[in-house]
Amino acid sequence: MEKTALKYVEKEVHQGKAFFRIFPGLCKGCGLCREKCPEEAISWSEELGVYGTPTVVADPEKCIACGACEQVCPDCAIAIERKAKEKE
Amino acid sequence: MEVMPKIPKSWNLETKPHKFCPGCGHGMVLKALGQAIDELGIQDRMVFGCDIGCSLLSWDFFNVDTVQTHHGRTTPVMVGVKRANPELIVVAYMGDGGGYAIGSQHLVNAATRDDKITVLLVNNTNYAMTGGQMAPTTMPGQKTETTPYGRDVSEAGYPMMGPEMVAAISHEGAYVARGSVAKFRRLKAYIKKALENQMAGRGFSFVEALSTCPTNWRTNAQQTWAFLEDQMTKQYPPGELKTPTGKEA
Ligand SMILES: Cc1ncc(C[n+]2csc(CCOP(=O)(O)OP(=O)(O)O)c2C)c(N)n1
Ligand code: SF4
Ligand code: SF4
Ligand code: SF4
Ligand SMILES: [Mg+2]
Repeated sequence: MEKTALKYVEKEVHQGKAFFRIFPGLCKGCGLCREKCPEEAISWSEELGVYGTPTVVADPEKCIACGACEQVCPDCAIAIERKAKEKE
Repeated sequence: MEVMPKIPKSWNLETKPHKFCPGCGHGMVLKALGQAIDELGIQDRMVFGCDIGCSLLSWDFFNVDTVQTHHGRTTPVMVGVKRANPELIVVAYMGDGGGYAIGSQHLVNAATRDDKITVLLVNNTNYAMTGGQMAPTTMPGQKTETTPYGRDVSEAGYPMMGPEMVAAISHEGAYVARGSVAKFRRLKAYIKKALENQMAGRGFSFVEALSTCPTNWRTNAQQTWAFLEDQMTKQYPPGELKTPTGKEA
């Protein structure tokens, strides 16, 4: 993996209880995650992915950190992290 | 602490992003397999075999010993590896064209012989790598490069029901299931059970994964999920067909 693949863009979501992270160096802009989000929280981002296509970003007001997008991403470009788990 | 993507431990990081197209179901199936390998702790004694077709793009996908061979012949190659060293856990990974058409005799004979291997077959309803020709699994009415007016079953035959066939010809300890990348957790549970069945030496294990191929289907994200979830699952009902240890809840 190129070093650039490790770069990520992070958003605090779910009332500050979780992080939505996107790794642009892995995202191919397929859009499958957007369709699977139960909250319609995902939109296209200014940040470009590995093929120069838009990556995705979650709306902090809408995202409930359910992890559905992370699960379906064929490229493991999304990582949802709940903060509570970190403290335990 | 350095933040890393949530990539299965058994994946080879050096080769990521992987070679599959945007939105390709192969990535999801191999993620499910990777997580299953991690959870079972078998990375050190795995041998992964991939076929001709887009499945071969996984030749450097995992940090496990890997071989690549021709259409459906991945099955007998992995049978050979398993017979030479039964301690190894082997997976034969292939497409629907390789497994159900060009090399289907190998699937039939391995199931009949009850070889203690795991076959994981990706059903994307076409010959993807060669540009989207009709496969045995192409849906009735589905347009492909070789069925430009849609598959006419009176001329081109009916779709192949792989797991149903394997369930019918395999023996008592066999595990047979059909999962879908749209139901990731369940697909992973099936793959895990198929590997455990091999580890317990019970019998032949077979999982078909309903998958996506946006490139040859010429679908956007919404159409991709719709074709998989609304159409493919009607023709190919997901579920477990043969379970020596009882069904998933
Ligand atoms: C004996 C032989 N016949 C034909 C080919 C050409 N060929 C390469 S890939 C492929 C299609 C593979 O389709 P499938 O197994 O469904 O895999 P997919 O690409 O869809 O994942 C074909 C026909 C070949 N390599 N070898
Ligand atoms: S975690 Fe759930 S709610 Fe948040 S963006 Fe992903 S799918 Fe949508
Ligand atoms: S599913 Fe993954 S690769 Fe596809 S757009 Fe979403 S984050 Fe990017
Ligand atoms: S052609 Fe289809 S099956 Fe092959 S990598 Fe692309 S999307 Fe996947
Ligand atoms: Mg195919």
